[in-house]
Amino acid sequence: MRLMVSNIQHFSVSDGPGIRTTVFLSGCNLRCQWCHNPETWEMGPVTLHFAGGQEEKCGFLMSISEIFEKVSGDLEFYQESGGGITVSGGEPLLQTEEVSELLSCCKKAGIHTLVDTAGALPYERFLPLLPVTDVFYYDIKAADEKRYRVYTGGSFQLVRENLLRLRAEGSEVILRLPLIPGVNTDMKSVETITALAAEAGIMEIHLLPYHRYGISKYNALGMEYPMKNKRLVSQRQMDKIRASYQEAGFLVK
Amino acid sequence: MKYKKYLIIIQNNTIVHCHLELVDYNGFEVMFMWMTEIENLRRELSVTPAGEICREVLFYQGVKEYYSQPPIIAKSYGTAAVMAKAKAYLYQNDLIAGSIRGIFQKDVDARIMGHAKQVYRSYGQNHFGTNSDHFAPDYQTFLGDGIGGTYRKIEVSRKLHKDAKARRFLKAAKITLDGFCGMLQNYAEEADKKAEAEKGEKKRRFLNMAADLRMLLTEKPTTFRQALQLIFLCHIAFLLQDKHAMAFGRMDQFLLPYYEKDLRQGVLTREEAVALLTSMFIKIGEHRYLGGDDTVNICIGGITPTGEDAVNPLSYCILEAVRIANIPGPNLSARIHERTPDKFLDEALKVIATGLGYPALMNDNINIPALLRHGYAREDVNDYCFVGCVENFIPGKQPPWSDGRFNVPMYFEPLLFHGKALLHPDYIGLDTGGPEALKTMKDFLKAFHRQLAYGFSEYYMFFNNENDRYQSENYAQPFLSLFCGDCIERGRDIRDGGAKYPSAHGAGCMGIATVADSLAAVDKLVYQEKKYTLCQLAEAIRVNYQGYEQMREDLLAAPKYGNDDDFVDRYAIWYVEEMERLVSEYRTRDGGPVYAAIASNVQNISAGREVAATPDGRRCGEALSDAASPMHGMDREGITAVVKSTTKPDFRLISCGTVLNQKLTPGLLRKDEYRKKFAALLRVYFKRGGQEMQMNCVSREMLKDAMEHPENYRSLVVRVSGFSAYFVELDPAVQLDILKRTEHGGAV
Repeated sequence: MRLMVSNIQHFSVSDGPGIRTTVFLSGCNLRCQWCHNPETWEMGPVTLHFAGGQEEKCGFLMSISEIFEKVSGDLEFYQESGGGITVSGGEPLLQTEEVSELLSCCKKAGIHTLVDTAGALPYERFLPLLPVTDVFYYDIKAADEKRYRVYTGGSFQLVRENLLRLRAEGSEVILRLPLIPGVNTDMKSVETITALAAEAGIMEIHLLPYHRYGISKYNALGMEYPMKNKRLVSQRQMDKIRASYQEAGFLVK
Repeated sequence: MKYKKYLIIIQNNTIVHCHLELVDYNGFEVMFMWMTEIENLRRELSVTPAGEICREVLFYQGVKEYYSQPPIIAKSYGTAAVMAKAKAYLYQNDLIAGSIRGIFQKDVDARIMGHAKQVYRSYGQNHFGTNSDHFAPDYQTFLGDGIGGTYRKIEVSRKLHKDAKARRFLKAAKITLDGFCGMLQNYAEEADKKAEAEKGEKKRRFLNMAADLRMLLTEKPTTFRQALQLIFLCHIAFLLQDKHAMAFGRMDQFLLPYYEKDLRQGVLTREEAVALLTSMFIKIGEHRYLGGDDTVNICIGGITPTGEDAVNPLSYCILEAVRIANIPGPNLSARIHERTPDKFLDEALKVIATGLGYPALMNDNINIPALLRHGYAREDVNDYCFVGCVENFIPGKQPPWSDGRFNVPMYFEPLLFHGKALLHPDYIGLDTGGPEALKTMKDFLKAFHRQLAYGFSEYYMFFNNENDRYQSENYAQPFLSLFCGDCIERGRDIRDGGAKYPSAHGAGCMGIATVADSLAAVDKLVYQEKKYTLCQLAEAIRVNYQGYEQMREDLLAAPKYGNDDDFVDRYAIWYVEEMERLVSEYRTRDGGPVYAAIASNVQNISAGREVAATPDGRRCGEALSDAASPMHGMDREGITAVVKSTTKPDFRLISCGTVLNQKLTPGLLRKDEYRKKFAALLRVYFKRGGQEMQMNCVSREMLKDAMEHPENYRSLVVRVSGFSAYFVELDPAVQLDILKRTEHGGAV
């Protein structure tokens, strides 16, 4: 069994508790305009040609055992810090059977498992992951059907239903909200997400302010950066959104 | 003492007063009374003194009437004069007296200077061969005795020792102590003068300073300020005598009783202690007037002589003071062991996060066993500190340090070219039969060992002959001996059996990663895959890989140290064991140990210029791998792999010390959550047997270098939620943004 991997990042400090190894997978069903990992869109090999002359190859098939060996090599670090593996992407649900196999190996080795998903695929794809995933990071990219479709190409309705079902079946879920001005930073979006989160019994929300770090990758892939003129979230707006979720009783990070 | 409490923020070198209780200063919460003085002192220090260094003239003035005396006595009069005749210089904003400015004089008569230099030289100069500096004085004893007590010790010893040599030494020691007293006296008078010209708070400060200095002439210090004052003037006295890399050692231990007593009696606040320390540390930067930064090692943390955790409130004060001083020079080292409080490690990382690059973090669990192997007493070893960059040292119990550079990767050349070195036509090495004789990897290693053993024997011969040349009495260090355990009691100079332990020498072994990577490449491509013959490789090295591009690419693609790959890491293990094999054959002139060191921080560049192309694919003249770090840009599996690789060798064999340099993106240590994770990484590193790690956060200067040489910064990963990128691959505007931002977005 093999997985299409974009990159493996060791000592990942911002993708879950403790020190983690993040396995970024290739292949994504969405095309979020602010995406900072465009090299993970295609389920296949891509080469980034950076302006400085460096080249990076992404997207290669790796056997589960090969990945597991890399991940479990850092066991001491997970134990010392309360960390583990994070599967990100790309969209892990696209390779759900293989991911399940990898996480199953990790669980057996006592490694904490986390899957970062946008949840915009049929719910069946979650099923193989349920027994082997400790925590889901669940991204909500827009809070209404129209904008979700326009900015990502996916369906908010599906994301919403999947979240409720995932929670109903007892999975631990932390919401991750990329904050994109003009897409989901208006108070109406905040209210919709607050209501959904409350309904789903969510405890913790992570805010991810939009950043432009991905620009060079678009250039390296010979692609146009879709959000060229997009402004960043102001500190004031961040504070306001954070306060709003905090008032609603969520732990906000 | 009552001072008006106000707080200050400094922005762009302009002081902004602020009356809040807590302010954020450079990302940290500080409460401060005396930031004005410190920042104004910083400004005073920024003015370079006019004139030239007149050490030799002062020495000549002191020595010239005593030529008839035995050299040790005559020379001591010269040394005393350097201390007593150098002008006592006080800054307007000094909290602690002491400056090297007084050694600069304008309009020195060139004839006198020329002659004085001849005289000074004839009495012998200071360098590693003479064991003259790189020393951690026993300040604990000196503070406990005071100057008066030290005089009494000398007197007692003079009565006990009848032999002429001991009496000469003790007389010389007394002469230098007289010179030191002259220096204190001068500072006291200068403080009086300053007090006269000042009003209010400053006047009171200079009056107190003068009173402290006069009191110290006879009595031992009783307050924290007096203790600091005394050791700082000792330090200045060493600098006047052309002694550098003089360590302060375990300040948080030997100053603690003074600090605690003062706090108890209400004569000192924590903030004042930090201010006093800062004002002293910032003056270490005066060394730039002499042409470069000093490396004054200050050691905090670790364990006590009896094995308890040694972190105390003063350890934190020193961390804070070093951070506020914010200059290279005070080379802070933090000893870490498994019971070191998390808070201490965290505070140390916060200081590193400011971009200072220190404290260097040292592993007691490796350094202590490394020193115990040489038969030092357990309580002495527990009390170890460092001199220079990282050299393990037992304060005040062994003669000053010496070290040299052993350029290990160079020895591939005599191995491949029948005893010849490509860039050193005059080197005559062993002919171990050339490449054609080495049929297996085992042959290769055996012959390489023979080359190294022979090379090291020459290295040692040259050092030892030089070291031996400086006959003890003529090159005596009577002033330094006052700061070394048993010298006075024994009536013997620090270099002549006065110290408890004999001298130790550190052989700076170069290029662990260059060697390990080279051995792995040879093993893989020549012996295992048989893609190239050793003769082909030798030829490619001879022509610096010109016309052998494919071979060079294959060599570069071979396993590299720092990626948790046993194939190559075993050669790092071999290297460490080999260095220990080499050095353990030798003793210093007085019977002390020779240590291996893998710590040459900058010399990897100059040493690389002396080495032809190496089998790891490195081209002729390029830098070697630095210290104990993986080859720059070759550690591509992330920092956890670096930690795993660099903890495989047994560093207890490297008694001098190692340096593992790590570059980090700036945000990684700024955010509490990330810093905690980094601390966990360090705990693993130390648990696994890492000896030392020092971290540099990417600065603007580094960024420029990273843009020009991205290949050296490949290992810098940007850690943003859900994001995957290397720092060098980011848009330049984004890189700058990452350097500027502190918190928002969590960019690291």
